[in-house]
Amino acid sequence: MIPESLKKTLEARVASAITAREAAVDVMKELQAHYGWLTDEAVGEAASLLGLSPLQVEELATFYEMIYRRPVGKKVIHVCDSISCWCVDCEGIIEHLKKKLGVGLGETTADGMFTLLPCCCMGMCGDGPAMSVGDVPYGKLTPELVDEILEMERQKA
Amino acid sequence: MPKLIIDDIPVEVAPGTSVLEAARSVGITIPHFCYHPALAIAAACRLCAVKLLDGPVKGIQMSCSLPAQDGMVVSTTDPEALRMRQLVIEWLMMNHPHDCPVCDEGGECLLQDFTIAGGHSRRRYQGKKRTFQNQYLGETIHHEMNRCIECYRCVRFYQDYAGGTDFGVTGSAGRVYFGRFQEGALESPFSGNLVDICPTGVFTDKTGRFRARYWDYEFAPSVCQHCSVGCNTAPQSFQRETIKIVGRRNDQVNGWFICDRARFDKGYLNDPQRPREARLDGATCGYDVAIDAAAKEIDKFVAQNGAESLAFVGSSRLSLEGMTLLAQLARTVDGSRLCYFGNEEELAGSVAAARLLHEKNSAYLGDIEKAECIALYALDLMEEGPMLALAVRKAFLAGAQIYLVDGDPIPARQKLPFTFTAVATLDEVPFEGGGRGVVIAGAGKKDADLLDQLASGGAKLVMLQPGPNAMAGGLLTLEFGGQAFSELASAGKIKGVVCFEADLPDGLIADIEILACADWRTSAAAAKAPVFLPTTTWVESDGTAINYEGRAQRFQRTRVPGLPLRGLDPKYYGSTADAVAEHPPRLHRREVPGGAERDAWRVMAQLIERLGGRTIEEPLTGRWSKLKDLDPEGEGVRVFNLLQGDPRTES
Repeated sequence: MIPESLKKTLEARVASAITAREAAVDVMKELQAHYGWLTDEAVGEAASLLGLSPLQVEELATFYEMIYRRPVGKKVIHVCDSISCWCVDCEGIIEHLKKKLGVGLGETTADGMFTLLPCCCMGMCGDGPAMSVGDVPYGKLTPELVDEILEMERQKA
Repeated sequence: MPKLIIDDIPVEVAPGTSVLEAARSVGITIPHFCYHPALAIAAACRLCAVKLLDGPVKGIQMSCSLPAQDGMVVSTTDPEALRMRQLVIEWLMMNHPHDCPVCDEGGECLLQDFTIAGGHSRRRYQGKKRTFQNQYLGETIHHEMNRCIECYRCVRFYQDYAGGTDFGVTGSAGRVYFGRFQEGALESPFSGNLVDICPTGVFTDKTGRFRARYWDYEFAPSVCQHCSVGCNTAPQSFQRETIKIVGRRNDQVNGWFICDRARFDKGYLNDPQRPREARLDGATCGYDVAIDAAAKEIDKFVAQNGAESLAFVGSSRLSLEGMTLLAQLARTVDGSRLCYFGNEEELAGSVAAARLLHEKNSAYLGDIEKAECIALYALDLMEEGPMLALAVRKAFLAGAQIYLVDGDPIPARQKLPFTFTAVATLDEVPFEGGGRGVVIAGAGKKDADLLDQLASGGAKLVMLQPGPNAMAGGLLTLEFGGQAFSELASAGKIKGVVCFEADLPDGLIADIEILACADWRTSAAAAKAPVFLPTTTWVESDGTAINYEGRAQRFQRTRVPGLPLRGLDPKYYGSTADAVAEHPPRLHRREVPGGAERDAWRVMAQLIERLGGRTIEEPLTGRWSKLKDLDPEGEGVRVFNLLQGDPRTES
């Protein structure tokens, strides 16, 4: 269940759109912010707000990698494994992240702080290897820098 | 009109035609998976590569999404294009499980055809394949996602063409998955078309799994006998059992698709309990003995009660051949009555349609799809003509206004795949000067004034009928002056009836003697009749059906009549005590077990002969003889022009 105030906000957002679908991403992001991830219940709520079927919301939700359809940690790490980052050894960075956090790709740390996900290019090809933690992008990664960033993000949380 | 050259053949096509379609028009098939003539272009499979040697664009291009332009020189056989297609197929096949031996699509699989045609025969990929969990999609469709090649045909059909919202595509990149939000039966009444449209074995017919291969099937062009739209189908039978029914293209009637009732409602055809033997006073007898007995019964009854208290009753389940002969049978017994309809309402509706419709005002599929304004007049479209709902949806997507006129509200059991405005009367529907407007009226009760008003409105008409061949019933009622059975029975005008595939209303046959009954299913009348004559269904007989727009279509026998080999009655084994299930009979015999059924019109012809009439070799005579050579694979013929002149006189 979402609070009435959030529901009103989202209804207004949908009403201001020319077609309901164009408001779908905004609605899903707001619901995700509310629940922590896009729960099945949230998919149903988004569907009724947008006048789509749950399946049609699911089509969009599963397409975007920033919409999470499974529970995630407090902060999600998207680490790039695409071609430009691969050229500057993102594989080493990913291995380091796995070791440091003690998780595999797609898993969440035991303390529920970080979820590690691979991503396919975040447009930081000039600054590879790149990752984002929470919503903050980081580039030119080295194993030492990764350690610093993780510590800092842990402090911030 | 763009002129281009494809493989040294000059081609001229309409503007907007794709290179792939232009090649098809001269008989060149460019391999393709995602292209489908009925669907929007997706360019998803990347298989239809051709090389453009000269013209406005050059090099390798996808022919399905490339509009033909002047001066193009296209090669479909260029080594570079061939290599491209070979590599694309290899790539599409990378995750495919190669499980053709256990796949129901094997033998009728586009993926098999084009993989071999594309020259990919050796597997080089050594890695792991991606796999999916399948979903339960209901009792009619089996889901096997691992075979998917991501052509998007299913979702384009289901959501865009048929307006379903509960099935779609989720995920992205290598995780693309076609299914539902949660497991459960597909909601769309057109979901069965996924079986036809899927180029691989992702969606297969669950009702006919693991029974036979494509090369085992007997099949022939047929016409669906579930409603009056008359969609073209191809029932596929094996060992006297109808295993699957698939759609058959007819652009004038149903396009490429059929509804789920046409596809999956087939149990009654194979039912081992279907009456298959002639019976006389409850005991099995030879067919000719039963016909003799029926003729005797009729003679005796007429001698006792007079011919005017005898009625020959048929129904819209009869083919046109059966209906014409029923009229001749009624004439043979001079003074007897003729019924094609169970009740007055149905008779009035069908006769009105036969009287009012003509070549110019009768709308067909194309008229509905191109209409600007459509009024649905008092009908449950999903019940009475589901395929027309897809045609209306097509018009709706092109911007047509749809109105549901609520003169006589009928609850729609299923949601219509388009939005409409409900209005109270036809006057509120703004037909702009009659231009491209269509009124779709149901088979329900309609008074004559209203029908005349419909016909004078300038809009084209669709009058759906209460049964598959009721239009023929209406035309023949005009010709031979038939009456409604309920009217005759309730007025006490008749004392005896002879039924041919008739659906007699309950409660009216209590005081009426049933002399003989010919049918392919059991009914109250059949139980009452001293003589029972089993007849063939539409899959076991040749015949002609006339649909709602007066289009006569020939359907062909798709299999011999008889008990399905699977599930023979124990009486067909040498011993009645120890039946061996699913085994052929162990008696010397020439005839097919349970194959004694005869076509209804042939039974009538034999009765006419026994009753002193002439011998009939050809059922379609007089004005109907023009339909003798109707091509079952053609688009059918509208009968209005054949029947010029006064319908009450025989030419």
